[in-house]
Amino acid sequence: MKSAEMVRLHKVSKIYGIEEVKISALDNVDLSIHSNEYVSIMGPSGSGKTTLLDVITTMMKPTSGEVFIEGVPTTQMSNTELATFRGKKIGFIFQTFNLLPKLTAIENVITPMWINGVPREDRGDKARNLLEEVGLGDRMHNRPNQLSGGQKQRVAIARALAMDPNIIVADEPTGNLDSKSGLHVMEILRHLHEDEKRTVIVVTHDESIGKQAERRIFLKDGKVVGSKGDGKKVSQLD
Amino acid sequence: MQIDFDVLENSIKNLRKAGTRTFLTLIGVIIGIAAIVSLLSIGQGLNVAVEKQFESLGSNTIFVIPGASSMGYSPIKLTDNDISRMEGVRGVESVIPIYVSSSILEFNGQKINVQIYSADGEKASAFENTGFFDVSEGRTLTKNDSSGVMIGNKIAKTYFDKEINLRKIITLEGEPFTVVGIMKPQAQSIGGGPNMGAAVFMSLEAFKKITSNIFPAIIFVKTGSGNDVGYAADEIEDMLDKKYGEKSINVSSSEELLEQVNVMLGLITLVVAGIGGISLIVGGIGIMNSMVTAVLERTREIGLMKALGASNQRILIMFILEAGFIGMIGGIIGIFLGYGLSFIIAFIGTESGFTLFAAINPEITFGALAFSMIIGIISGLIPAIRAANLDPVIALRYE
Repeated sequence: MKSAEMVRLHKVSKIYGIEEVKISALDNVDLSIHSNEYVSIMGPSGSGKTTLLDVITTMMKPTSGEVFIEGVPTTQMSNTELATFRGKKIGFIFQTFNLLPKLTAIENVITPMWINGVPREDRGDKARNLLEEVGLGDRMHNRPNQLSGGQKQRVAIARALAMDPNIIVADEPTGNLDSKSGLHVMEILRHLHEDEKRTVIVVTHDESIGKQAERRIFLKDGKVVGSKGDGKKVSQLD
Repeated sequence: MQIDFDVLENSIKNLRKAGTRTFLTLIGVIIGIAAIVSLLSIGQGLNVAVEKQFESLGSNTIFVIPGASSMGYSPIKLTDNDISRMEGVRGVESVIPIYVSSSILEFNGQKINVQIYSADGEKASAFENTGFFDVSEGRTLTKNDSSGVMIGNKIAKTYFDKEINLRKIITLEGEPFTVVGIMKPQAQSIGGGPNMGAAVFMSLEAFKKITSNIFPAIIFVKTGSGNDVGYAADEIEDMLDKKYGEKSINVSSSEELLEQVNVMLGLITLVVAGIGGISLIVGGIGIMNSMVTAVLERTREIGLMKALGASNQRILIMFILEAGFIGMIGGIIGIFLGYGLSFIIAFIGTESGFTLFAAINPEITFGALAFSMIIGIISGLIPAIRAANLDPVIALRYE
């Protein structure tokens, strides 16, 4: 069964700076990620993985090339169209959590809902369900400074799921966590992929995290230099 | 346009989160608006007071004042002949000269300098209902009352160690007079002269007993209703100019005078309120400063909101609303404070003998509110545009 294409990059390049000091962060990248795929993007720092993530999430427009998300070309969209599109299609998980410090856990989960126009009456129940799903049913009204690192990241995961997006993008999701909390977070990501059939993209330089994906894409100097595990189940790798 | 309640709610939350800063920024706006409102209110109150005074005189009154525009020393002394010639001008119904002098008032062994006003008893009846010489105690003068006087409330109640009551004898220039009436505290001043609270009013007969210097300080000329006030004023001015020289006598109708006074009052109010306006601009800069700080502080938050789907426009509106709110809340508090202040000023002013009161009117109230909101929005515009145009990638990783 061939699944639909969730993300496609066609000859995507990103060049920073002006004429004299051009830095090529992405160099003619072609990439395709299918529905319900679990992909990790790996590479040393400076390899262009963060830029690749920014382009995939439509947070950044490439210098040239085209980015398709669920088949929709995005490079010609206005900033406003992109924001609305991104808000509904992509869920973000960050290394530094990026929770709003003065809001409680549940208010943080509600944030994308009000931004994207979810009716008021639907927000509370949905946020509660999501927090219970990540095991924080008893921490809903705590502020981030009252939560551990792992708990914060789980709030962030609940927030990423608030708009029920097909694509979940995680940037070094375990980078600021101890190993036990890190395992818990990775377990949730696996669950999102296997049980909820979402497309999960993890950016990391950590081999052990990257290995958990079905497919690993290796970047170096802005180019895709290799990939491992195409089409295989997570459990079959290595 | 549909109201974006979510952005509205978020803006209010953000202002509350930045409690101390919001409060300090508010103070700047409150001071500015309170200054403008109190000054405009007092200015408007003055205007209304002046208009009321002129209204009581009637629009058919002409003021003839030797020399300067208000009563003061002038070398020109208008004569009885001048008065009878004025009476002869077409349309003129009555001519009432007012005589002014100052004298030492003696009572209970104490001496105090007072202003003395006098008018011909026959003609003074024209003053009835003008409020100039209304009494709070006793009665007004009878015609040709040569021994009774009316005294101002200040003279009666506060100037002397012992209060001067009705039927007491006071001495002016060695002549005894009986107090028959005490004038009302709010009695109006004549043509910009001193308040009657500190004056003595007597008949011309009585006046002649204490001074030989009997020349009118101001002459009220009343025209019959339906007559052309302007024509009579021009005729009188021509007549006096020929005799005393161009512009040596000030002749103006009550309407002209009212207009002059209003223009002057308006100008003063404008200048003073303008100074208040400067303080509001300073308040606006405070809002701008506060918003610039907020944008810097919340750079990552802005990046996050963009990642979560917030458009540039929405971020813009959010920050403009925050600035507008500071303007609005500062405006509302400032308006209350401003009116409160003007009531206090009016109270103190009235106590010290000036005719002052605070006016509350919708133009000042809503004008000030609109002004403060506009200042808020304008001040918030630049920081809001800066926030809206932040690159989400850079904002999200801002340290």
